[in-house]
Amino acid sequence: MAVKGFAWAGEPLEPLSKEQEQLVHERSLDVLQRIGVSTTNDRTLKIMAEQGQDVDFEERRIRFDPAFVEQQIALGRGYYTLGARDPENDLVLDGRHGYISSEGCLAEIYDPAIGDRRYSSKEDLEAMTRLSDALPQIAFLWQPVSANDKIVPVRPMHETHAQWSNTTKHIQQMTAVDPFNARGILEMATVVAGSAEALRERPLISNFQCAISPLHWDDGPVDAIELLGQAGIPVGLVSMPLLAATSPASVAGTLVLANAEILSGMVIQQTLVPGAPTFYTCYATTMDMNSGALNNGWGPEDLTFEIAGGQMARRYGVPSSSGILATGAKQSDWQAGMQTAFSAFEKAVSPSDMLSGAGSYNGSAVFSAVQMILDCEVSDIAMRWAEGYSFDAEQLAVEVIEHVGPGGHFLGEPHTLQHMRDFWRSKVMNRLTWEDWDAAGRPEPWKAAEAEVQRILAEHEPEPLPEDVTKELDRIMDAYEAEAMENMEDD
Amino acid sequence: MATEEQMYEQLNKGLNDGDEAKSLEATHWLVDNGVNPVEILEEGMAKAMFILGERWKRGEVFLPEVVVSAEVFKKCNAIVEPELAKMGEAKASSLVVMLTVKGDLHDLGKNMVGAMLKTSGFEVHDLGKDVPTDKVIAAVEELKPAIVGMSALLTTTVPQQQVVIKALKKNGLRDKVKVMVGGAPVTQEWADQIGADGYAPSAPEAVEMAKQLIGKA
Repeated sequence: MAVKGFAWAGEPLEPLSKEQEQLVHERSLDVLQRIGVSTTNDRTLKIMAEQGQDVDFEERRIRFDPAFVEQQIALGRGYYTLGARDPENDLVLDGRHGYISSEGCLAEIYDPAIGDRRYSSKEDLEAMTRLSDALPQIAFLWQPVSANDKIVPVRPMHETHAQWSNTTKHIQQMTAVDPFNARGILEMATVVAGSAEALRERPLISNFQCAISPLHWDDGPVDAIELLGQAGIPVGLVSMPLLAATSPASVAGTLVLANAEILSGMVIQQTLVPGAPTFYTCYATTMDMNSGALNNGWGPEDLTFEIAGGQMARRYGVPSSSGILATGAKQSDWQAGMQTAFSAFEKAVSPSDMLSGAGSYNGSAVFSAVQMILDCEVSDIAMRWAEGYSFDAEQLAVEVIEHVGPGGHFLGEPHTLQHMRDFWRSKVMNRLTWEDWDAAGRPEPWKAAEAEVQRILAEHEPEPLPEDVTKELDRIMDAYEAEAMENMEDD
Repeated sequence: MATEEQMYEQLNKGLNDGDEAKSLEATHWLVDNGVNPVEILEEGMAKAMFILGERWKRGEVFLPEVVVSAEVFKKCNAIVEPELAKMGEAKASSLVVMLTVKGDLHDLGKNMVGAMLKTSGFEVHDLGKDVPTDKVIAAVEELKPAIVGMSALLTTTVPQQQVVIKALKKNGLRDKVKVMVGGAPVTQEWADQIGADGYAPSAPEAVEMAKQLIGKA
């Protein structure tokens, strides 16, 4: 079963004018030169000083020369392919295709059995990975929920361990933010790939590291960037400021800050590991001005952030990752449908290479399997729309029009029989007659989605791993768990 | 040498696939080999169309395919019917006269209902579209159908359904035929108001309604 994605037929619709794009670029270079970024990673401070950058060791602040920024980010230019355990699921990133992942790292999951949310476990993560594996619109995986039942220092490794046997798709490991876990997931990926060379050739995992807004890079993420970059694992640089809280109270100012943070991360990455595969990730979002809550996926500002990152990434010639399908809704209702549909549909006109992620409620805080099915349905419409339609002689169908003539009908025509299955069909939408709908107990679309979740979880078995690989993954997991326990006792 | 069982299977598959050649070949074989035409009709053709209807309900078959199968059914029927006549078999009246009312050229819905009625073993006489009321009266008098089915798509032509019912009454025919009405603006309330015997919101439900009206449901 091949994965699906967005394929753009035309030129992308850019949310920023060329002048606005240029302003964001110039002002962020300004920010990096005059204000700079701070970091707790001493090695980076030392290397940047050696590279002639203005480093204040007291304040742990690096101020970057604009020419150096341009020179270093150019080292990371270029697109690449994300490998998958099943090579059929490899994702070619080329700036013209967009692939959706599941949401990730959510601490809670909606449980239909109790009709409420609850803390998630490693077992939930395994099930949600298996569900994602069966859905063609989910092209690669985040770690849908947290393994809350596992100890914190080694939880990211458990979250990766849970996924290998439950999917043959690319895994974007987005919870390992320290060198200990980064080394662990790298060891696992090497075992599954067969060798370090095979993994470098077709990276089965990717990763990203996040700046702390405003303008700070923590120690652990920088080490992880270096460690994974050296192994040829694509590592994205993320900025996720909250408008009016950790970035200015303006769309333009938030984009300047986010761009500065992402570029600073790229400069650090390309200085530590020149030519490391990278990607640009702007997860800027808005805040509820009353409560201070995260409002991702909320409305026009968020929709602008979701595609502006893709535009800036095109400028720098690197793949991008952007937000998609977020909703503040607590159930699969009008709000969820409306917010996810806007978000999916704008991706049909304005690309990002990686789009994350499907299947959440409550501002990406509660994972929902039902919502993931509905998100796939919404995305499928947008994907088909983006692909466009053929206007060749067969499709223009003048011969058929002539054959039927005035006043006839096309129902029994061979052309109709040949093409009647070409059209988009819904898995969950409701098109019953009023009478049938009434007789069926007035079902809502999410009911059909719930049945689909149960069907998939009962039926879908991903291609198993070779037994020796599974054993080796278990051994690595146990070894890291033991080491983490020891470290905890030492503390 | 083919067996009767194989030919029944071919007829079933042929009708379900809308395969005219296969269906006609099987029907000819069964007739030529002296199989009882009533049995061919009931055990062969009607059964196949029932299976098709079930598949349609499950969403496995699309409407255009049902339309094609109904056409093939009609051609098979043309082979069996003369044999029935030779036997002097009196056919139960399951004739439906279908029409789109005067002033309305939208006949797709009516055609869909007609096609699905045929697949359920009804005989359908189609008067076409934009049919004047006196033509309906003449057809009822002459053909003595069990049911008259009227469609209208426009809010401006829906009242014509009432005109036909009044004309049936005036000509003393109302008690002799059941009247079904349909069309996008038609509702159960409207059907009750004009004194129609049945209304259905979709083609398959129209078939169920027709079966009820002639007591075959």
